[in-house]
Amino acid sequence: MVNGEHERIEELLAGYALLALSGEDAIEADRLLSEHVPSCPMCRDTLAGFQSVAGELALAPSPVAPPELMLPRLRRQLEHVSGRRRRATLVAAAAGVIALVTLSGLSMSLASRASKAEHAKVQLSDFVGTLQQPGASSVSLTSMDRSSPGMVEVSGPGFERMYIVGRDVPEPAPGHAYQLWLGSGGTFVPVGDMFLPEDGLVYIRLTFDPRPYDEILITEEAIGSRMSAPSRDGHVWHASLTGAA
Amino acid sequence: MHEEDRLDLELHRRLGSGDRAAFEDLYRRYAPPAYALALRVTGQDALAQEVVHDSFLALWRTPEAYDAARGPFRTFFLSLVHHRAVDAVRREERLRKRAERASNLEPRTGEDVADEIVEDAYLVERRREIREALQTLPPDQRRVVELAYFGGYTQARIAEELGIPVGTVKTRTLAAMRKLRRALYRED
Repeated sequence: MVNGEHERIEELLAGYALLALSGEDAIEADRLLSEHVPSCPMCRDTLAGFQSVAGELALAPSPVAPPELMLPRLRRQLEHVSGRRRRATLVAAAAGVIALVTLSGLSMSLASRASKAEHAKVQLSDFVGTLQQPGASSVSLTSMDRSSPGMVEVSGPGFERMYIVGRDVPEPAPGHAYQLWLGSGGTFVPVGDMFLPEDGLVYIRLTFDPRPYDEILITEEAIGSRMSAPSRDGHVWHASLTGAA
Repeated sequence: MHEEDRLDLELHRRLGSGDRAAFEDLYRRYAPPAYALALRVTGQDALAQEVVHDSFLALWRTPEAYDAARGPFRTFFLSLVHHRAVDAVRREERLRKRAERASNLEPRTGEDVADEIVEDAYLVERRREIREALQTLPPDQRRVVELAYFGGYTQARIAEELGIPVGTVKTRTLAAMRKLRRALYRED
């Protein structure tokens, strides 16, 4: 890549670090971040430097004491969160996702990255509709190292659809993204494109019949790698589809 | 690594095992700068409270979201607050009266209660360095950075606001970020 192109990339990375990109620039930055930056030491360094600057700028305003009631309110909520921390149940996780999707208007699909509130609303409506259908079943995808919140898979006989939703999903390591795998008899195949959480949210809708499969895995894979088997490095979520309730 | 960063790391480590005292220590250290930042970006008390509250709750729920290899905890957490504040203010765009919002780094009258807040000397010193670095920028470069970072404006919106081409906004932003980086990290 020639210097002129790097200058243009630097401009995008500077805007990206300040959260100031929109439209085509934002799309181009997303593409660069997944395709070019991970393999370019100069751009990785530039991005890290600009993000550090952005983090430091946060200190510029004079500190202001938050309202006194904020800490007691947080304490009460810690009580509530502690009881279910790292223990995703369908009700808790699905309700959380519903609330967050509604609030943020952000969503993620395997097919395309969508940030329009209208799209999110349709997806949410679809998801809730499926949850309410007779025969709908759900399983929790558990973090293998128990360090991350779980995700929830929802599907049902005759639906030929599967949903996977998660909240507070951590960002994968730089240059990595998440990959969904479906397993049958211990053999796994990658399904769909790799994906990233958006503001910690994952919302995946697949149109296919999940009945032939007995396991789901979500793994952290290097972007651009040729995957023949699920990686066990990084975050891994797993669920068995047999006996889903 | 600075001693204060080390202390943050230790508090963060304890947070991972559900240590509430560590959470409260981090709250005492970072709630004032986080609230100041959220107030600055959103310009609304209620929205700023929501942003800070949700940011601390997110920290409690998923402390592993912070990776020490990516830099100090301080920049991670305040970036999280900034991200949420910008998201919030863009949601509220139509309701916001931008004209009423602060347009420079000085707090609004009655807002600065810094005297009542006991901050680590390191944070005070770092704030001074950051402000100095911002002040060394040419005014047109400083303006685009402030509108983007503290105003939550996109570059397209900044171009509209200032009546200049988007390309000029991008050029000024890059020049400013390079200078800030050199100033804050003493790079040649």
